Amino acid sequence: MRILAIESSCDETAIAILEGNGKSLKLKKNAIYSQIDIHKQYGGVVPEVAARKHVETVIPLIDSTLGKNKLKGVDYVAVTSGPGLVTSLILGMATAKTLTFANDLPLVAVNHMEGHVYSNWLSNKELVKDSQKYFPALILVVSGGHTELVLMPGHGQYQLLGQTLDDAVGEAYDKVAKLLGLGYPGGPIVSKLAEQGNKEAYDFPRPMMDKPNYDFSFSGLKTAVLYTLEKKKQVNKQDINDICASFQTAATEVLAKKTIKATQEYNVKSIMVAGGVSANKDLKQVLNKQAKKIDLPFFYPDLKYTGDNAAMIATAAYYNVINKKNNILKNKAIFDLEPRSNWQLSKN
Amino acid sequence: MKEYISNNQAETEKIATELAKELKGGELLALSGNLGAGKTVFVKALGKALGVEENITSPTFVLMKVYNIEYERADKFVHVDCYRLSIQEDLFEIGLGDYLNYDNIIVAIEWADKIANLPDTAIKIHIELIKDDKRKITII
Repeated sequence: MRILAIESSCDETAIAILEGNGKSLKLKKNAIYSQIDIHKQYGGVVPEVAARKHVETVIPLIDSTLGKNKLKGVDYVAVTSGPGLVTSLILGMATAKTLTFANDLPLVAVNHMEGHVYSNWLSNKELVKDSQKYFPALILVVSGGHTELVLMPGHGQYQLLGQTLDDAVGEAYDKVAKLLGLGYPGGPIVSKLAEQGNKEAYDFPRPMMDKPNYDFSFSGLKTAVLYTLEKKKQVNKQDINDICASFQTAATEVLAKKTIKATQEYNVKSIMVAGGVSANKDLKQVLNKQAKKIDLPFFYPDLKYTGDNAAMIATAAYYNVINKKNNILKNKAIFDLEPRSNWQLSKN
Repeated sequence: MKEYISNNQAETEKIATELAKELKGGELLALSGNLGAGKTVFVKALGKALGVEENITSPTFVLMKVYNIEYERADKFVHVDCYRLSIQEDLFEIGLGDYLNYDNIIVAIEWADKIANLPDTAIKIHIELIKDDKRKITII
């Protein structure tokens, strides 16, 4: 089975071709056009600039990815249809709708966060070979827009155990970077500086850590950093490193503690992390260590698949198809597909 | 113009709840104030008072979230966050056109100072951090 996937939910335009045969996955092509350098100049995302760039890049990117074979051999086209920026989503979707309708192909509507979950399959052959061995899996979904603990009893099945009540953890990283004047995107900068900092220098709060549920809150942690800065008035380089390290430790500790707690209540067979913040070294190290202690396999995506990409969308689509999910559209039904900017993973 | 001093989160929530009671539908609320001022806290309480049943989470990443509400004078509450916008933007270009100027929709925009064409009729809410949990809230 050969799948062409298109992803345009935020500020990357991405195309991938994936082949799967039940036992293994082969990524044939994986192209990403990132707008990050453009948005860096502005210090954030500019929706209409993002939309315009998607328009300019999507067709040339498909052309260069497909080469002269065009759509020959492609069995399904997959597209991200949420969550994300509506103005960005619609461009990838319009492209996918047109391609599938004109070529009489089925269209698979993929949840972007499900793509992040399946970046684990893309990165770990072991999972592809014998998925059942690792279900139910507990997935910690962490990104700029999401912080969720999700129970995955089988392919395409998601039960939300808890989520952030305010800011996502990736958003907290970005906002702390902004408070410290560190630039955009903030996550990688904060974790880099944290390596040179003292993680015990500041005792930041661990919001909701001991509450008997799986919800999170990161807004207060950001505010605690703000109060620290207000009190200090002047900060030197080492202060910044120490704040980054102490902040990261607080965030990781809450995420890891709730994750480990959920593994025990739900008797899971594996732990996975998914989403942009799965690039965070500290989080992976702590989870890996704690998973070892309770003798559970811990999976995480390769660094190259932690950001937005179409390979993970193709992988999610592949498992949607072989498990006969109902988000596969044909003929005129293709045009009924609408973007779902707040599409929750547990409401597939 | 009204000015309030809030000494903690609960007081901020009370001010937001009182404001919600005065809304008739069709309003645009424009919030401003620095990171950590408490804009989201304010909007969460306001939305709750308007009958949003789900937990309102930060819309920073997706720019806006739309909630259906059970409220006698409106049936939708739209929570917008312009934090990620880097330059002054047009209300319509960020995709708000579908939700503005309808009597049955109430819109709250955080970081509204990043909107270039804010209408004069907007209710402006400015939150300022004084010290620790103390805030000054100005509603115009």
